[in-house]
Amino acid sequence: MATEILLPKIGFSMNEGELAEWLAADGDTVTEGQPLFLLEADKSANEVEAPASGTLTILAEAGETYTVGTVLGTIG
Amino acid sequence: MMLTNTHKPDAATQVEMFRRMALLKANDERSRKVITTGRLIMPYYSYRGQEVIPAAMSVNLTDDDYLVTIYRGIHDMLAKGLPLKQLWAEIAGRIDGTCKGKGGPMHLTYPKKGIMVTTGVVGSSMPIANGLGWASQLSGDGRVAVATFGDGASNIGAFHESLNLASVWKLPVIFLCQNNRWGEHTEYSKSTPVARIADRAAAYGMAGIHVDGNDPIAMYGAAREAVERARAGEGPTLIEAMTFRHHGHVFGDADRYMDKAYKADWVAKDPYPAYRATLIADGLATEEQLAGFEADAEAQIDEAVAFALDSAFPGLDQLSTDVFGEAA
Amino acid sequence: MSDAMVQDKPAEKAAKPITILEALNQALADAMAEDDTVVILGEDVADPEEGGVTGVTKGLSTRFGDKRVRSTPISEQAIVGCAIGASLAGYKPVAEIMLMNFTTVAMDMIVNHAAKLRYMSGGQTNVPIVIRTMTGAGFSTGGQHADFLEAWFAHTAGIKVVIPSNSADAYGLMRSAIDDPDPVLFVENMPNYWTPYPRFESGHRVPIGKANVVVEGSDITIVSYARMMNEAHLALAALGEAGVSAEIIDLRTIAPWDQETVLASVAKTGRLLVVHEAVVPFGVGAEIAAVVQEKLFGKLKAPVGRVGAPFNPVPFSKPLETAHIPSADKIAAAAIALVKGKH
Repeated sequence: MATEILLPKIGFSMNEGELAEWLAADGDTVTEGQPLFLLEADKSANEVEAPASGTLTILAEAGETYTVGTVLGTIG
Repeated sequence: MMLTNTHKPDAATQVEMFRRMALLKANDERSRKVITTGRLIMPYYSYRGQEVIPAAMSVNLTDDDYLVTIYRGIHDMLAKGLPLKQLWAEIAGRIDGTCKGKGGPMHLTYPKKGIMVTTGVVGSSMPIANGLGWASQLSGDGRVAVATFGDGASNIGAFHESLNLASVWKLPVIFLCQNNRWGEHTEYSKSTPVARIADRAAAYGMAGIHVDGNDPIAMYGAAREAVERARAGEGPTLIEAMTFRHHGHVFGDADRYMDKAYKADWVAKDPYPAYRATLIADGLATEEQLAGFEADAEAQIDEAVAFALDSAFPGLDQLSTDVFGEAA
Repeated sequence: MSDAMVQDKPAEKAAKPITILEALNQALADAMAEDDTVVILGEDVADPEEGGVTGVTKGLSTRFGDKRVRSTPISEQAIVGCAIGASLAGYKPVAEIMLMNFTTVAMDMIVNHAAKLRYMSGGQTNVPIVIRTMTGAGFSTGGQHADFLEAWFAHTAGIKVVIPSNSADAYGLMRSAIDDPDPVLFVENMPNYWTPYPRFESGHRVPIGKANVVVEGSDITIVSYARMMNEAHLALAALGEAGVSAEIIDLRTIAPWDQETVLASVAKTGRLLVVHEAVVPFGVGAEIAAVVQEKLFGKLKAPVGRVGAPFNPVPFSKPLETAHIPSADKIAAAAIALVKGKH
């Protein structure tokens, strides 16, 4: 079953964040724990890790802002 | 009176201290991971870097001794015996949590292991710990009460009122200040005019110990001295344990207020790998044993996280219950 | 009590009135005699310190020992926190905060902790404390020593608030408050401490949450509490002269208040006047008025009226202070206006 990649809430007041950059490409095989995307929120950048291992399917666009909890892609 | 402590933990105690540290470290790492992968949404006050203090204090306490801690207190509680499944279910807001999901991480409570109150208000652990100590004094049952708090809390009114009362009533209370040098975003020297918080004990006529809270042997000695003093009816102790937090005030906090080189220097002095290496080098434990603790911790946490995420949210019928109990 | 009193005939002794202060002292003594877990703490509460600034706890430390009745430093947060902690460990502390205005110094302990620990712990812990405090204007104590703040605490889920108006209720409510598994703020009306009231049976309880219909009537319901009950009684003369039949209810418990009794009365009379010494805006009267108009809108013959102190701090100067406190005249005038006016 595919694991959803969710936009996390990091930091007290954050309700949305910018998916600044994908650090892996659509279709890549990724391993759990490897840096997956850069999240910008509250003027700070956080590297977010892959929650599982498998094939990455990208659903959200780099450079766009999404609310916390949005499904950005899947790993299956 | 400044104290020097001379108690050294035996081999078995040292190994147990490390086992607890391994659990604490693994739990913090998993907590940050579930947040960054979006699995849980909650404010998280990371204690990574501060594992030695509760490990060294808790081996000197029994299940019957009382703990009152604060929002950066999950390490204190795990070391005291808070069960992992109920911890994770509570921070995930589930009905199987310690508080049926109604308290959350800042109000974890587990009286079976003496975890009586966790407070989200800086400094409020101390007046309540005094009361637990007073109960112990009244009943003569020998229990001690530990109130944990940070350096920032040593400037709030409740600290001063509490130390004063504990001292004049000779209460069996241990005021355990985990001084990580930063009160929220403000560096110690900008908020506190005394060089050492432990010096404040003298102002209240009570015992004070300043100790390297990242040194397991020294921390054990300080904790044991304070616990023995309390049990002997000789009154409270203020322990100022120096340490450092690796992840800012609340997780996600970018630490922009902290100099990067200063932070890197402190992170490099992380007591966890140092103690791990020392135990092996001194022949007190094998690599296999310690790696076993770390693996056990991961496995237990896996189980706890799965339990939590499988557990149901409290029903709406829970919204307005537990406000009052049944009248006698 | 002096030896001379012991020689009185039983019938006369039974009729001898008792002040609220004596009734409170007796309630505390009886509770402590029956239950070893009842303990008292606060500023000056022990006998070497005169047994309380007005003597409510006099004799208790001598009788029960200085461990169970303990004078504290001037540290309101520490006092309430100590009570909370001891209650978590199985004791029933009765903490004194000398004046209701000083509950403000302990608000974190009262509102953020005592009131909330049962809920936040998911029912694992509870805080069976009583916080005794006194207040009331009339002794020229000025703006920081005489406020009635019951509405603040009634507005906090998890704490009960009681305010007796006479000796029997003071005794019965104190016994119930000590028995109660949750925090109870027990407000004593200082100017009324030394007023004598009829005696009562030792050991009796007044249930928390139950009001008392003290005078039956048919034209208007007057709800009040604390020393204002005396003023409401005094207003009966003028009301009688004006041909107004008033039903007077002593609320006794502010939170949770006895909606059933009040609504039954107003359903009968069709009119309500709430009287309290606290300032009118945002007071207990506002809450009662809101519920009554919600539940009895079609049955009301007049708007709900409120009599209370004007919206300013308690003044020092005697004529101002006297004018500040609601009086029997103001109560009678307001009630008559509601009954006789066109609405």
